[in-house]
Amino acid sequence: MKTPALHKFQPLIAALEAEPLTDHWPETLTGCYISDLLSDVLAHAEPGMLWLTIQTHRNVVSVAATKDITAVLFTCGRKPEPEIIAEAEEEGIALLTTKLTTYEASGKLWRAGVHGENDHE
Amino acid sequence: MHLAPASLLDADAGDARKISVAQVLVYELRVRDAMSKPPITAAPTDSLRTIQELMKSRRISGVPITREGSLMGIISIEDIINALDRGYINDPAEAHMARNVIGLRDHYSLLRAVAEFDRHEFGRFPVLDSSDRLVGIITRGDITTCLMQHLERRAEEAIAQEATLRASRVADEAADRVVVRAHVRTGDYDSAGKVSQRMRQVLRERGVPPEIRRRAAVVAYEAETNIIIHSLGGEIIATIDPDKVIIEAIDVGPGIESVDQAMQEGWSTAGRLPRELGFGAGMGLPNIKRCSDALDITSDGQKGTRLRSEICIRKPGATP
Repeated sequence: MKTPALHKFQPLIAALEAEPLTDHWPETLTGCYISDLLSDVLAHAEPGMLWLTIQTHRNVVSVAATKDITAVLFTCGRKPEPEIIAEAEEEGIALLTTKLTTYEASGKLWRAGVHGENDHE
Repeated sequence: MHLAPASLLDADAGDARKISVAQVLVYELRVRDAMSKPPITAAPTDSLRTIQELMKSRRISGVPITREGSLMGIISIEDIINALDRGYINDPAEAHMARNVIGLRDHYSLLRAVAEFDRHEFGRFPVLDSSDRLVGIITRGDITTCLMQHLERRAEEAIAQEATLRASRVADEAADRVVVRAHVRTGDYDSAGKVSQRMRQVLRERGVPPEIRRRAAVVAYEAETNIIIHSLGGEIIATIDPDKVIIEAIDVGPGIESVDQAMQEGWSTAGRLPRELGFGAGMGLPNIKRCSDALDITSDGQKGTRLRSEICIRKPGATP
């Protein structure tokens, strides 16, 4: 696996019009993955990525932890329950929410320079 | 009185090419370890008759004659026979005792003692400490008995040590193995990933490389959600050894109709609810297969499904 280019996380929060739900977030990202299917994320997401999804149940945290995903952005204004946010804090996973749709958010990310860096298997 | 000169013994000690335990003991053990003590002695003024009675009652064949702890001479059974023969059995010991007695120091090795017995053909030696005090008597029989006892003790120690080693090895292996297991209930989507989470923690603590941790975590997570979504309940067991992780998922059915079909990406029998939660993408088993180093799935309608996945742990830098 090649070493992915790192993207500064802080400027992306504003670009995504995102509201952080957890107290801490990573300095950098290795890239981004978008899916609402958990197995698909387990199969294709890479460590250190930002994951965009509309799923808000606690399995999102489990899947993110399983794949060492560092941040999850819930789109369409979705917010998980407080205990799920607490679980994410414990796992060291940043959670954010935005009113943007997944499509809009991904466009903002691309414009901010976060391009597809996945090894397509 | 003379002490055996050390130079006489060098020849006997020479060939050390083959050394048995007995030979090691002969070097290590000292005359003081084998001698009979305290010595049975008589005074110079005691009659030979008294000494004869002493030999008979104590079943010994030689009696050192001492004055205030110092060795004056020795009376052997031959001296007593001669006395009886020639009619001076009532004489005092000092009149007939051998005076130039050869003794051994108590710190001599048994090897040296054996050499002295070979050289002088005596049945016994008096044993003196470094202040020339008589401290014991040594015979060939004492040396043999001492060696036998020590050989036996060494053998027992060796057996005990081996048993201890074996026990500690079993304990080590048991300590190195961590088993994480959990009962998995059907439809309990909120609990998905419990075993996976605990397993990841153990692997992280053990310094297992992240890539291997993730693979094991994906297998455990997918196997666990499979039980939740598709079965009537079951169990997931992650056995973490230093060199591998074994993940077993056992459910009570219904079994997988076609394992071949289930292995195809996108093929799913999941219902509406799991699909809404993001499960049932038809990628579970393909994901498990991709992340496993070895995978075995058996399934039938009656007994349910047994899945066994193995993930090898290779330390960074180690050659696979």
